[in-house]
Amino acid sequence: MDVIKELKGELGEKVLTEPEDIYAYVTDASNVLRQVPLAVVRAYSTEDVSKVLRIANETSTPVVVRGGGTSLTGASVPVKGGILLDVTPMDGIEVNVDDGWVMAEAGATVAKVDQECRKYGYFFPPDPASSRYATIGAALAENAGGLRGAKYGVMKNWVLSLEVVIPGGEVLRIGKPLYKWRWGPDLISLFIGSEGTLGVITKAWLRIYPLPEKVVRILGLFNSLEDAGRAIFEIRRSGILPTMLELLDDESVNIVREQSGLDIPETEAMIIVDVDGPKEAVWRLANQVTEIIGRNGGKAEASDDPEEMKRLYAVRQGIYAAVTRTYKGVLIEDVVFPVSKLVEALREIKKIKEKYGLPMPTFGHAGDGNLHPNICYDPDDPEQVKKAEEMFREVALLAIRMGGSLSGEHGIGLTKKELLVEELKSVNSLGYLKLVKEIKRVLDPKGIMNPGKLYP
Amino acid sequence: MVVPPVVLMASENTEREGDVLGLGPKERVRWAKGLDLPRGPVNGTIFYAGEVYPIMGYAEGAFRMMSRLKLDLNSMAKVAPLFKKLGIYRVVARASWSSLNSRYEKALKDAVYVLKKLDVKFGYLYEDEPPSGIALHTYGLLEDFKRYASEVAAKFRELGVSKIITLDPIAATAFKHYYPVFTEFNVKVEHFVQVVARRMAETGAKASLRRKVRVTYHDPCYLARVMGVVDEVRYVLSRLDGVELIEPERHGVNTGCSGDGGLELTQPELARKVSYERVKELAETGASLTLTSCPACIMMLRVGFDDLSIKMDVLDLASLVAEAFRNRLEFEGPQEVSFKEYKVLPDTLRWDLSNLGERLREYTDLCKKCGFCNAVCPTAQALDRLESRSARGRMTLINALVRGEPLSSEKVLDRLYSCVLCGSCSQTCPVGLHVQEIIVYGRAYAIMTGRV
Repeated sequence: MDVIKELKGELGEKVLTEPEDIYAYVTDASNVLRQVPLAVVRAYSTEDVSKVLRIANETSTPVVVRGGGTSLTGASVPVKGGILLDVTPMDGIEVNVDDGWVMAEAGATVAKVDQECRKYGYFFPPDPASSRYATIGAALAENAGGLRGAKYGVMKNWVLSLEVVIPGGEVLRIGKPLYKWRWGPDLISLFIGSEGTLGVITKAWLRIYPLPEKVVRILGLFNSLEDAGRAIFEIRRSGILPTMLELLDDESVNIVREQSGLDIPETEAMIIVDVDGPKEAVWRLANQVTEIIGRNGGKAEASDDPEEMKRLYAVRQGIYAAVTRTYKGVLIEDVVFPVSKLVEALREIKKIKEKYGLPMPTFGHAGDGNLHPNICYDPDDPEQVKKAEEMFREVALLAIRMGGSLSGEHGIGLTKKELLVEELKSVNSLGYLKLVKEIKRVLDPKGIMNPGKLYP
Repeated sequence: MVVPPVVLMASENTEREGDVLGLGPKERVRWAKGLDLPRGPVNGTIFYAGEVYPIMGYAEGAFRMMSRLKLDLNSMAKVAPLFKKLGIYRVVARASWSSLNSRYEKALKDAVYVLKKLDVKFGYLYEDEPPSGIALHTYGLLEDFKRYASEVAAKFRELGVSKIITLDPIAATAFKHYYPVFTEFNVKVEHFVQVVARRMAETGAKASLRRKVRVTYHDPCYLARVMGVVDEVRYVLSRLDGVELIEPERHGVNTGCSGDGGLELTQPELARKVSYERVKELAETGASLTLTSCPACIMMLRVGFDDLSIKMDVLDLASLVAEAFRNRLEFEGPQEVSFKEYKVLPDTLRWDLSNLGERLREYTDLCKKCGFCNAVCPTAQALDRLESRSARGRMTLINALVRGEPLSSEKVLDRLYSCVLCGSCSQTCPVGLHVQEIIVYGRAYAIMTGRV
């Protein structure tokens, strides 16, 4: 049976086979491996997805699902060829304020979903940095997080119900768009973080949240990492839950200063804290944060003026651009530490940096312990490439050793599947992997869904 | 030859007759009839009409007719030389679309009127005015553009032109940003609105319309994003009584595309789709009149509004200013105003055409595939984010082409020609890549190394 012929028979012009179209899909934001798919199918509906999964299953053809192609771990690279299923055309959104949800089709961007909610005085809290192009289906499949994770958690915390298509083409509904329902074991979580290896999420009903009345932003500068750490702990102990609590090391601040020419004072650590709440209360919380920063040897500045808030965020905003403009090769790590161990973790990360001698500006979401050391290297220098890979591994092992995790929000994909074994070993749970693989076999007996990813 | 017939026709017309339609200098000076503009530069300064405004109505007429009759531009382009030889095209254009064209001719006349009222001194070159040849650059015929630009530069030198005032932001961009890269060129270039805003500030000019009108303004990418001219427009409008400006969501340097940039010729159906997003946004302002400052934008906005049956008038900014000036104009004395020159794009790329492959490889390798550009790419949005006709996809395809992957240059070029060159990708790229210009050089590479 000829896959292409079958696909074209069922889906017509939605099937792209010209090299000049499919070569555009050879990689994603991981930008390491390139692989050409057999064909690209542009899905406009659940029915389209179902057809593809039926044909793929019948012909044992690999299927890689792709949204905005913003994966940093290679989740949407078609490493074994096959069909690249592009779900971006299915991008319907429906907001239902009375029932408290937004329905989004797989291809709707995370930012658009948020925007639609805002028209009604609500918002959709998870905000991965790529939210303007990342899609809901992929953000769920990767269990993406974002800056507001400190208070609002990650994608999995917002799902009420899913529609998924499994290999063979069957369409399943998991749960209902209700805040309470009981069907037995929760299979929603099975698909969250499954990275397209079990089926295709085609629709999601997600919780929405009222827009905070007011947000105040506080910038804190510290002469030592330890001071910053103490301030972070004290904020937590005081019972304040910031919307966002970002931490940047000195190398991150320096690189932004050099690249942007912004006037930023010398500092060993910078934190940016957003607190939100009712307008009568929010400044009280913000002042408390300011005092905590001062008490711990830091200098603080706070504002609720949109323009000023932008300025206070400028360093964090500019870091990705500054790093990519300065260095040709960047490996973005995504590790998690228990918040209580953040300072120690940053010290250890500095040691790794000194050992290998490559730049590694480190910043991240201190509110939930999720750090992004950015390993910078020259991709044309084989020695540096090797060093960068070793650093990548060593940072992940450090996280595992300190009771953290090898990935917070970018996923496992291609780049971290071997390391996953190490993490499972560290909690004596290799059985988990065995179980997951058995579940995968039940859903996808022919192993067509995103082969080569996630499972070591 | 990998260049599609319609681009071939446009470039041959540009080289031979000076404009994309091949109507020639006689048609292009018709607008100036009866104005008695001094021939040749005055103190080195000329008003430059260019090759777009004077014939845009004929282009609009042809564009509308072709799509009404569902004619394919590429097959039409193949028989075009025959029509031209017989002189049929010119006759048809004059007979069918003169009144359509008069709206664009009027913009030029209005601009001249406004400048004169503000006591700006300039001459006009009439048939001697050399067209900018921007189409050659747009379509990636960079070797031709380079040669052409040096001829034009020589002509300006010979005629003693040292300063150009133009209503056409496309020509202004060509002279200001591309000419100095491709040839020796040191003629000063200003857009009409820059001159008008400055003179209005110096004299305190204030005018009022006889009517009250709620307007919205569509910033053309060439004027706002490339030239950084934004404040001047707002200042001029603020000095016209009776005008209420309501900005659309995307405005100033963050403007949205109306679907031109050459796309209207290469892929007209896609151009229309792009315009729809924009006209909807403009209509949402509740304004009854859309102003803009680019002939190609005027055309595509008009087409877009008509296609979606939205009642909205589209007018060149110059025409509204002239209307107010004609009604009542006073001078209140010098005003303290400053206009910022916005810089949101990376510097213009200065690449040698002899090693384009290397350059393109180096720069497209730097692309991180983050997709930030695609979030603002108008064609990606219009095509449900089809990767091969999106900003990031074009970068990936150029990379594959220069790496020697088995791709047809002709078909890659087709994907590259789907771009409107609006520059929002270049503005957004975190790496700082000038994506828009890389695409132009990518076109040039595909043409120069063309394999079918």
